[in-house]
Amino acid sequence: MNRPLDLDDIQGNICKGYGRYGFPKARYFFLQFHTPDQGRRCLHQLIPLITNAEPWAADGDSPLKPDVTTNIAFTYAGLEALGLPQRSLNGFPGEFRMGMKSRADILGDNGPSAPEHWDPVWQGEGIHAWVSINGRDMDAVETRFSVIRGIISDTGGVSIRPGHRGADNTLLPWQDASAVYENGKVTPKEHFGYVDGIGNPYFEGCGNDPSRLPGRGKLNKEGQWQPLATGEFILGHVDEAQEYPLAPEPHLLAHNGTFMVYRKLHENVTTFHHYVDSVAQDFDGSRELLMAKFSGRWPDNGAPLTLAPDDEAKAALDQQLASLTEKADKGDACAAAQLKALKDQWIDFTYADDKHGSRCPIGAHIRRANTRASLETQKGAFNTPSALDDRRRLLRRGLPYGGGQKEASDATEQGIIFMCLGASIERQFEFIQQQWINYSNDFHLGNDKDVLIGSNNGRLTDKHIIQTQPKSGKAPFFCSHLPRMVETRGGDYFFIPSITALNMIAQGIIDPT
Amino acid sequence: MSNVAGKAYGMNVLTPLRWWTALWQKLIFWVVVKTFPYFLKGLLTLSLIHYARWTIINRWSFPRLDKTQPKETLTYSYMLFESNFNGSWDQYIDSFSFAIPGGLDMFWRWNIKYPKSIPLHDFYHYIRFNQIECDHYYNAYPLASANDVKSAKRLTGNLRSFADSLTDNMTDEAFMDAYRQFLADNQHALGSMGDSPLMSTSHQLVQHHKQVNTAHEKQPEEEA
Repeated sequence: MNRPLDLDDIQGNICKGYGRYGFPKARYFFLQFHTPDQGRRCLHQLIPLITNAEPWAADGDSPLKPDVTTNIAFTYAGLEALGLPQRSLNGFPGEFRMGMKSRADILGDNGPSAPEHWDPVWQGEGIHAWVSINGRDMDAVETRFSVIRGIISDTGGVSIRPGHRGADNTLLPWQDASAVYENGKVTPKEHFGYVDGIGNPYFEGCGNDPSRLPGRGKLNKEGQWQPLATGEFILGHVDEAQEYPLAPEPHLLAHNGTFMVYRKLHENVTTFHHYVDSVAQDFDGSRELLMAKFSGRWPDNGAPLTLAPDDEAKAALDQQLASLTEKADKGDACAAAQLKALKDQWIDFTYADDKHGSRCPIGAHIRRANTRASLETQKGAFNTPSALDDRRRLLRRGLPYGGGQKEASDATEQGIIFMCLGASIERQFEFIQQQWINYSNDFHLGNDKDVLIGSNNGRLTDKHIIQTQPKSGKAPFFCSHLPRMVETRGGDYFFIPSITALNMIAQGIIDPT
Repeated sequence: MSNVAGKAYGMNVLTPLRWWTALWQKLIFWVVVKTFPYFLKGLLTLSLIHYARWTIINRWSFPRLDKTQPKETLTYSYMLFESNFNGSWDQYIDSFSFAIPGGLDMFWRWNIKYPKSIPLHDFYHYIRFNQIECDHYYNAYPLASANDVKSAKRLTGNLRSFADSLTDNMTDEAFMDAYRQFLADNQHALGSMGDSPLMSTSHQLVQHHKQVNTAHEKQPEEEA
């Protein structure tokens, strides 16, 4: 059992997905430190702006929710540029030291996703730090950005790296991101039209409401949900292997910090919709069902296919939802409780009753990215049902970017700024990306890849199988010649230090001796 | 030298154990065999494994290449673990340790300085320290994992049976129904076959060097 976490020492983006807390706007930008001393001075000035993970509350001792948040993280080159001692640098894991570009062949960043095609900001060296501003509105983001730009300008020796591709092929010194709006309202959707960002993991001490545990934790032998070990997501704490994650010295440099993957993922919306339209003609079901069979969730409201596996079941579910919502809105407490219980099933499910994939295809996106104990194909075979999943979980952060054009196409700028956090980039993100997204041996599907984010190339063998119910008389449905729906446009690996470590780095007092 | 061939990794681990604990170990093996597959259910469910084999080599029975080779006086007996699997070393050891820690401890419990399979990094070091690299490793089907081979065998057999079940007087509709059923029955054996995911950046470097060496070796011939 881990001790309670020092939430005021942990950066806020680790424990809070800001989108869920009402921050639909964000700006990400990258710093280059030209001298260690100026870099440290700049960092020293920025620290008071950094948001920690303390819970926000309307009253009491907890701080009020701010209008804007700020967080910071560093690449290996950035930590070097800030003058960290070599012995401390040597303690960082290999993949972090190499950076994302050098891992392109592991990640499937090939063809149009290859690093030479990334935005200019990622070309050459010099990405040292990532800074994020999340705001309730764009004004709040702009105001905070001006403050930070003032600090950078006053300190000298630090620059904001330009070269993020924006609308109409302009190059910007920052990357803006925003939730997708429909009729002026924030939605949880991305640009293909799917509701996204459902089901982040729940870990010990994360400060979240315990009622959010089912479906987000790990399954014990009795089939009950339990929080994942803190050390899966935060360094300096015991992980699922009952040890401390690999981390640099001294202890205080790593303690309460973690690693982050930042990826700009461009969405080829024309390619996607053309493919769906073309395949839907032969598919026994609606276009929405076909889209759901790609992702595992219905695009309009994120309901999992395990709950509503076909058009008929979805219509019944929608009716039930609408009826309960109407009653709950009129103050019916019983209906409100039923509604909550129903919505809990968006997260709280496994594939135990769907071994053949006739409801949610075995190669569907959510079944790959979070296997939910489905790799234990024989009951009782493993130490616990989710033993092969518990060390492969990701805290997903980030927001969509671009969009808003009248006519979106592959050439226009839209996609997702994907960020995920975890104690080991290699064991968690890289494993999932390589073995479960771009490969399928664990699912007995050979070299098939994820429809949505896999590195498919339009060949016959780039395919997705929509399994059928055995003995139903229906054949499985084959989606072949899958094109590249999503392309990587940049990214790197970052270390998010604790507030204590930030202060130590700024003061230049990291001493592993 | 490489432990990697196509999608497969070959692992040999030789660990010492005292001669009298080797007797206990043999007893454990006997129980495992007699109760098969009770203790090996987890191992069999880990589909990345082609096979895993544990052998006890008594300290007096190490093989000699020739009678003229002097006999060694060994302090310990040894346990030889051989396995072929798909994926990288880390992925294999991770999966072993996450999924069947009790099973691993049962097999290695009596081995000298065995740290137990959890915490993970002590187990990593133990295996690495005692691992013997492959001098030569050959894979007849470098594009296939064990699951691919098993799927292909199943599919081939079922396709033959399906073909045998067809008759000349079958209507188009009847054929279509039978074909749909055949596809449904084999829907879990229809994954694509392709290149292995990159095992590691080190292995990638070795492959690159091999290509450079081959190109260099060919050059003089072409010039001649």
